[in-house]
Amino acid sequence: MLVSVEIFMLTLLFSLPLGLIIAFGRMSKNGIIRTIAKLYISIMRGTPLMLQLLVVYFGPYYVFKIRISPGYRFVAVIIAFAINYAAYFAEIYRSGIESMPVGQYEAAKVLGYNKVQTFFKIILPQVIKRILPSVTNEIITLVKDTSLAFAIAQPEMFTIAKQIAAAQTTIMPLMTAGVFYYIFNLIVAVVMEKVEKAFAYYR
Amino acid sequence: MKLLEMNHVKKEFDGLGVLKDISLSVEEGEVISIIGPSGSGKSTLLRCATMLENMDGGELTYMGEKAAWETDCKCVYASKSDLKRIHSYFGLVFQSFNLFPHYSVLKNITDALVSVDKIPKKEAVERAEKLLGQLGLSDKKDAYPYQLSGGQQQRVSIARALAKQPKILFFDEPTSALDPELTVEVLKVIKELAKEHMTMIIVTHEMQFAKEVSDRIIFMEEGIIKAQGTPEELFGTDNERVQEFIGHLSGA
Repeated sequence: MLVSVEIFMLTLLFSLPLGLIIAFGRMSKNGIIRTIAKLYISIMRGTPLMLQLLVVYFGPYYVFKIRISPGYRFVAVIIAFAINYAAYFAEIYRSGIESMPVGQYEAAKVLGYNKVQTFFKIILPQVIKRILPSVTNEIITLVKDTSLAFAIAQPEMFTIAKQIAAAQTTIMPLMTAGVFYYIFNLIVAVVMEKVEKAFAYYR
Repeated sequence: MKLLEMNHVKKEFDGLGVLKDISLSVEEGEVISIIGPSGSGKSTLLRCATMLENMDGGELTYMGEKAAWETDCKCVYASKSDLKRIHSYFGLVFQSFNLFPHYSVLKNITDALVSVDKIPKKEAVERAEKLLGQLGLSDKKDAYPYQLSGGQQQRVSIARALAKQPKILFFDEPTSALDPELTVEVLKVIKELAKEHMTMIIVTHEMQFAKEVSDRIIFMEEGIIKAQGTPEELFGTDNERVQEFIGHLSGA
């Protein structure tokens, strides 16, 4: 249970900012940067997260012949989840940023705001409000995706439930795990609703 | 003193000439209205003057300081630091207000003062409250833009522009998004400003208003200035095209 929550929290902590950086790359005027960002998003969204997990975990051994230390397992999970989710968040950010009316940029420019101020003071706060429903969707998927960590035998909630279920030939541990995921997501939904309400003071 | 000088300004969009050699100079305290049919280049001229669009040719000078000039048939703009200073000389009021929806009315006005012009917050708030009082919006300072009528929003955006104490204020069809009743309240504000000798350039379709408020009216069509003069001169002109346009709009 705790491990699942850790994976969830750390993934959000790293993927949300990383996604913004990738979104900038995706919208860059520089064609090379734009193409790299596009390719990155395409691969991350186009291949299974489980495969990405395996590559991140076993890659250092097969490619560089580095011995994998046991502590790397959890790190690999976080890396794989963060870079995968960053791709999805990048596209969500982009949709939000591109939906902003050009008048907001123009008003800011005429008032003398520089580009950094314009983005962080004027644009981003409004973008966050706009993309919250899509982000909520993604976060709910993430809660359930944490169970994929079993692919590299990271002992998280689903892995353990499966082991107990196999040992005791009963489906109850899996059902219990299901209930936990559900409650987890219920909490996520309530929190995100609160966040959306916090942004409801303007339209 | 000449606050603004535009010389031989040219602007193309996809090879289509929108501004073809426009020259315009504005004296301190002058109120100028720009009229003309849609697509005549009025708004583009304003957007070039406020540097929201880059000119393809010509010269742009504020208070004797060059913002853009022509070298080798190309338009070059002044350095970033020069442009920053030049930007503080003018303000622009948009057709669609473009208030920041996530800021209160007060913060819409004060934020640029504090974070751009580095004015102490207390002073910025005092300045904003004074302006809101003048524009009859004192009770709205804590409201958010969506809670205001279009006319109130436009008055806030005028206050936001005025708070920066510009030398010259541009209006890009300030009442085109408003119904007739709300138009009146916004035009009233602009008339007050004209009385206080605020230098203004107003793109408008309100002929009666242009006639009342302007020292000079410019009639634009097809990217050039077709006619200009005092309201009396322009409304009494024997230029058929101008007559036709004015007659059309004032319903005479």
